[in-house]
Amino acid sequence: MDLSFLFANTVNGAVYGAFLLLTSLGLSLVFGLGRVVNFAHGALYALGGYGLVAVMQRLGLGFWPALVVAPLLVVPIAIAIERVTIQPIRSRPEIYTLLVTFGVSFMVIGAIEYVFGTATTLVEVPRLFAGTVVIVGNEFPIYRLAAAALSLAVSGAVFAFVQFTPIGLQIRAVTDDPGMAEALGVNTTRLLTLVFGAAAGLAALAGALGAPIFAVHPEMGSGILLDAFLAVILGGLGNLPGSAIGAFFVALTKSIGGGYVADWSIAVLFVLVAIALVFRPTGLFGRGRVA
Amino acid sequence: MAASRFAKSVVLALVAAASAPALAQESLKIGVLTIRSGPATPVGDDIIAGIETATRMYGPVLGRPVELIVEESQWNAQQAVTKATKLVQQNRVAAILGTSTVEALALLPVADRLGVPIVTSNSGSAAITRQNCNKWVFRTNAEDLMSAEALKYLLAQNPKLAAAKWFTLGHDYPFSRLVAGTVKQVTGASYVGDAFAPLDTADWSPFIARARASGATAIMMSVTLGTPLLQFVQQANEFGLTKEAQLVAPIGLPDWLVAKLGPLSTNIISAGSWAAWRYEEVEPATKQFNDAFFKQHGRVSGMQALQSASAALMLYTAITKAGSTDPDAVVKALETVDVRTPVGPLRFQPGGRQALVPMFLGPYEAVNPPRYGAQFAQVVEVFPASKSLPPTGPEVGCKLK
Repeated sequence: MDLSFLFANTVNGAVYGAFLLLTSLGLSLVFGLGRVVNFAHGALYALGGYGLVAVMQRLGLGFWPALVVAPLLVVPIAIAIERVTIQPIRSRPEIYTLLVTFGVSFMVIGAIEYVFGTATTLVEVPRLFAGTVVIVGNEFPIYRLAAAALSLAVSGAVFAFVQFTPIGLQIRAVTDDPGMAEALGVNTTRLLTLVFGAAAGLAALAGALGAPIFAVHPEMGSGILLDAFLAVILGGLGNLPGSAIGAFFVALTKSIGGGYVADWSIAVLFVLVAIALVFRPTGLFGRGRVA
Repeated sequence: MAASRFAKSVVLALVAAASAPALAQESLKIGVLTIRSGPATPVGDDIIAGIETATRMYGPVLGRPVELIVEESQWNAQQAVTKATKLVQQNRVAAILGTSTVEALALLPVADRLGVPIVTSNSGSAAITRQNCNKWVFRTNAEDLMSAEALKYLLAQNPKLAAAKWFTLGHDYPFSRLVAGTVKQVTGASYVGDAFAPLDTADWSPFIARARASGATAIMMSVTLGTPLLQFVQQANEFGLTKEAQLVAPIGLPDWLVAKLGPLSTNIISAGSWAAWRYEEVEPATKQFNDAFFKQHGRVSGMQALQSASAALMLYTAITKAGSTDPDAVVKALETVDVRTPVGPLRFQPGGRQALVPMFLGPYEAVNPPRYGAQFAQVVEVFPASKSLPPTGPEVGCKLK
């Protein structure tokens, strides 16, 4: 076995895993808190990429300031979406939010195409991180490693926030038992709105960070959304550590699988996920019931 | 009695005379079926833009203004059949232009029912004009097996490429396998591997790692045109692969993609573009078209635009030659038209439905000074049809009923 080749694919998988983690966390939080299956998450990811491009081109900001501003622009849009389309149907079965957010995703992508057009935009890697670095005989783009590190840092901050802050305590309480949390005075409606906005911000940040790697185009969120759903379902809906493990599992399977059995890599991934769900229907770390 | 009959005749004659100008003004409807959404939208945009310019240049036809009716195919077979049927039955089009491989293959089984000429300019599948050829379906662009011959020629003529270690890297679809097979067949070429990625691949890193691990010094990119190809070239450059290996595009790059890639495009050689705007350096019809296209659309005419314009010109010439829009007459005329088009002199194979069309090989380079807004473009070496295609339809397995 060529260990150098295995190492290259493992690192590439870990890099993609970091992006996927950042995207998956929001999806998992929103489901755990409000039982909302947010199919518009990929569209919000795309909005992040377009936000970056728009801020850089129209406001003349550099990449790094734009990386901060773009997700902040997406948050109020997401909050408006949640207020108008999700809040009114929260009491209904999850299939309703799935369908509604599915429709919202089309609307958001349509709006992106209307405003920005359908052309793909390449985003240059920031000069500070241009070029490659050799690690164990393999060449890796510096920007990918830096972006992955930033993704991990932000994800770590999210974990810490949920674990160690009063609001994080409320999030965990509502995830565990919404009725009891509400009885104890937690405003679950407002909390979900805030978390939905924050989740969108995370997805948008992932989209903006990924722009120099994956390019910016209206459909850019669809592929990573599928991977994020796999990660979240595999890890257990609403379970953050499970989502993290799920994200890296999906990313590493795709990367190592792609390196060894290119045209079968997706099949391998789905087979492994299916096997896992046969034995653990609620996900590897899920605790909920199977609907 | 005779007087009333005479009066009626006079009235009828007057009505006919009054409506004659209206009839002569009635537009000639031509359907255009192509992609209008998703990552491949720029391909559809180029196809439509080329037909629009051709219509402006070469119309009216039979004294009638040409009205283009565009329908979205979504590159979906069922949608293509539905929309083509609508074009014919509701819009009463005289013919259909545009179409890529998916639409052309979908329309073959229903072409007899549609009963109008279909001139495709963006379909690669050889079967369309070989074993599955049909009376109604004509093609102006080069097909896959012609592209394979161009590739063999390129390798044979370029010692550096002939000595390279070849790797095929693209999507998991039939064209990739065809291209890989072609490279393997080239005498003396060293083939070190291939990787066929799932169609929705956005992260090419595992496949780039595989190409690198194989020691490849030339990579045949059988990635689908559009965003995926942009992503692949950008990522290949990001990983430094373009420093180690020559990237080869089997059917060239659309010019909108070349513009997006900018300097990255100079890492690529085309092994057989379907059209090239710099053919204007040799062919006056190309120059005339390029000027008109730039004037109308403000950008350089891309591969798909040049091809679709040539298809439109062939069709309009055939309709003029037929003297009517009668489908059988137009088909008969198409079989024998010989026209100087933006891709050069074109005619269809006798007894066949494939145009004897050249291909264009060569690397991409900077254009100084820029022309038509293009800063990068392909250097053009013409590969004539005589080297890639037998001259008649039956020789390629086409048996027209």
